[in-house]
Amino acid sequence: MSVSLQISPEDLREIPAFHALPDEQRMSLAVVMVRRQYSAGQIIFMEGDEAGSLWFVASGRVKIIKQSLNGRVQGLCLMDRGKCFGSCPLFDMEKNPATAQALNEVTLFVLPEAALEQMRAHDPHLVKALLHIYSQRLEHLARVSEVLGAWTVPDRINDCLLTYADRAALEPVVELTQEKLASLSGTVREVVSRHLRLLEKAGIVRVEPGRIVILNVDALLPPCACEERRKPA
Amino acid sequence: MTVHAELLAKSRVFAALSPRTQRSIAEKAALAEFSEHVDLYHQGDPPAPLFILLSGRVKLYRQSKENCQILALPVPGDCLGAESLSTGTASPYSATTLTPTTAVTLSPEVLQILMDEHPDFQEIFLRLITDRLKQFVTLVHDLAFRDVTSRLATVLLARADSEGQAVEGGVVFDRLLSQQEFADMVGTAREVVYRTFKRLEDDGLINLSRQSILIRDSAALRAIAQQETR
Repeated sequence: MSVSLQISPEDLREIPAFHALPDEQRMSLAVVMVRRQYSAGQIIFMEGDEAGSLWFVASGRVKIIKQSLNGRVQGLCLMDRGKCFGSCPLFDMEKNPATAQALNEVTLFVLPEAALEQMRAHDPHLVKALLHIYSQRLEHLARVSEVLGAWTVPDRINDCLLTYADRAALEPVVELTQEKLASLSGTVREVVSRHLRLLEKAGIVRVEPGRIVILNVDALLPPCACEERRKPA
Repeated sequence: MTVHAELLAKSRVFAALSPRTQRSIAEKAALAEFSEHVDLYHQGDPPAPLFILLSGRVKLYRQSKENCQILALPVPGDCLGAESLSTGTASPYSATTLTPTTAVTLSPEVLQILMDEHPDFQEIFLRLITDRLKQFVTLVHDLAFRDVTSRLATVLLARADSEGQAVEGGVVFDRLLSQQEFADMVGTAREVVYRTFKRLEDDGLINLSRQSILIRDSAALRAIAQQETR
């Protein structure tokens, strides 16, 4: 069960999209937004659902996925703290184009559709914040399209490892199962596991239950590596 | 060259703006002509100007060394560019003309002023970004869940819908893209596209010539396009 709780304006300071908002704006947002809690694996909304709220990740991780008629899952992205998803009416879309699922214990701040619409009409700051959010998402999806369409499967898996590794650590760790890794890189688990065995043999990664430790970051960069790929996600 | 406000009305989204905003945009806009195969902006560049396409065709694509993925083929009336204006980051993709092209252009500086002065322009800009976003969600879906034949069928039908002309025996449109560019659109190799085209032709679904493509059986093509094989 998800529990709703109050949000304070201070809580909203943690969300990058709200950084540039004036204080009184954050106050009025805090009044209309609600806090929701989800446990690991819980579905936040389904592809095809009607849902118009805007969701912000306060803690934990959410995965955004698409599913084919045959049940295959393609990960679009992982949203961690501060990231934002949802709000399809802005696109003129009645239905959600993807499914959102909690990856672990997740706390979300929700801006309900009615409040979003009302504030948007009166507030250029909020439109600016939305523009920022959607421009970032556009960049991300342009990149996902290239990776899916033009890259080889091994390059896609390597890229996924780099994208979702905790790069702050001395030995970067990817806290994802091979199943999830397969879904994010557009392939199946068997292919991921075969590729990881090759990488492990070459001393590039160490595979542990539920996680992968990266021993050699440079070896995972595709031959055509451009600068953006060196940056932490 | 000066830009008349009427030109802006050629774009579906700009037509929705108030006459005052339209005039204000027209005053700050420029009219530009490009020959074919000219780069309008590059992936990795600082935020690009906004182009309102009046005539001609452009491809939007991402490239890393030898690999290319075409993301969209805007038609006249569409807008492109300025994708990273709000984030101040690098352009997420490149744009190159496929044919001689004319466009109304708005520089990033002008766009910023327009957004500050005209709230309705901000809404338009948001719409441009979300429209493109919607396209990319569909593209990712197709790349992930449909095979090459189904993706090629999808591309052909989309083009027939937006630029096709009804003729005897079907719907015809300019070929516009090379075999390699078709491959870059559906995310495969040139040889695979060649074979796929040949099969669709042998089955009597399409006719391919140097200049144009004729869709002979759009119902059959649609059935292929809707298959999710993965």
